[in-house]
Amino acid sequence: MLLLEFKSFLLDGLAHTLLLSLVMILGGTFFAILFAGGLSLKSKWLSRPVYMLVECLRDIPLMVTVLLVYFVLPNAGISLNPFWSSALSVSVWGGANGAHIIRAGLASVPSGQREAALAFGLRGWKGLLLVVIPQAMPVILPPYVSLVTGLVQASSLGAVIGVNELLRSAQILIEQTTISRGGSPAYLIYGTILIVYFVLCWAISVLGARLERYFARPYQRQPSVQAKQVEGQTLPAAMLDVKA
Amino acid sequence: MDFTYILDALPDLMSGLKMTLMVSGLAIILSCLIGALGAALRTSGFKPAEYAVRGYVEFIRGTPYLVQIFFIFYGLPSLGLRFSVFWSGVIALTVWASAFQIENFRAGLAAVGRGMNDASASLGLHRWHHALFVVLPLAARAALPSSMNTLVATVKNSAYLQAIGLVELTFVAVDRIAYDFRAIEMFFTICVIYLLCVFALSGLGHLVEQRLNRPFAGR
Repeated sequence: MLLLEFKSFLLDGLAHTLLLSLVMILGGTFFAILFAGGLSLKSKWLSRPVYMLVECLRDIPLMVTVLLVYFVLPNAGISLNPFWSSALSVSVWGGANGAHIIRAGLASVPSGQREAALAFGLRGWKGLLLVVIPQAMPVILPPYVSLVTGLVQASSLGAVIGVNELLRSAQILIEQTTISRGGSPAYLIYGTILIVYFVLCWAISVLGARLERYFARPYQRQPSVQAKQVEGQTLPAAMLDVKA
Repeated sequence: MDFTYILDALPDLMSGLKMTLMVSGLAIILSCLIGALGAALRTSGFKPAEYAVRGYVEFIRGTPYLVQIFFIFYGLPSLGLRFSVFWSGVIALTVWASAFQIENFRAGLAAVGRGMNDASASLGLHRWHHALFVVLPLAARAALPSSMNTLVATVKNSAYLQAIGLVELTFVAVDRIAYDFRAIEMFFTICVIYLLCVFALSGLGHLVEQRLNRPFAGR
């Protein structure tokens, strides 16, 4: 069978996909923290440009960002190979999306908590790390886990600019076997890597759910807090109590 | 930055934009229809249909969109289903967007309280009247913000279709860069065009939202 015959070739692609995803996740988290910090700067002159940059990154198609970084950076004298070029563009995109997640999470912690931390003498970074962030985690994690799966999926964009990851390996394998043996095995190979990516993303969301449970532990005996975390939207109260 | 070059390239880019809007427009219409149907099936109480819809949504959301496009364009012909580049693009974009629209509409349906059921029953409304005149308007309002997001994402994701050679905005830009090496001008222009499209669409969404919210405003 074709898949078993070229197993090592495809596994090599998978290894590159995993490495690229890891770089993107780390880079995305780095840029997310950087942008979230930039967005919450006190000076409007500093936070506005960051806001504009983040909005542009969120609104321009990721495909365009990836191609843009690949084609435009060499003009500025920075030439990256396809691997680092795609890693940079997807990380920046992930950072722009992650910044909003982090900011919303931090904003969900009541300001009284921060003040209480100050009252206990936990100033600045200490208060943020020990008091605010642990409480923000249950809000940050669910969207962040889906961002991470999004980043793993976005690693397939590397194939467009020629990174030898899973999708590119599949393309090469299909081209070669179509030429040498006739008959395209595209549905088999693309179908297989669809399943591989699905398993990968599923594993991440399972791990994410575990992490969410870990951070939600302090709240487990309070039904009122759990009720807030129920998924799905609810109508604003004004819409539902329509008075006659 | 050479603006005369941009002006020179503008007719080409506009024909690309036309293709982008055509593909994403078709995909938006189809995905809204499939989304509504899927959400109805998902909440129908018929278990096999519910599992099928749920599996579809999970699978599409759990796999890279680019691989889905390649599967549809290169994989399906060997199974006997051959589509042109344009229709492959429409199908791929629809398949992707429907998975998100099903979730949006399902959340919208879930937001309509159980009390509405009882209220309609006490007023003697027919099942279809209840669905059309009570549930639909409320569910549409609740689903509007998230499904507007998906609409915007559909237009943005049409850029992925350049990978199978659909001559849309990004394809035109990359194609011209291959001849003229004017990467900065081309990317600047298409970024502006995409941003304008996104702003126009989300502005439209806000207008619709305000308009739909009128019965509930001022209380």
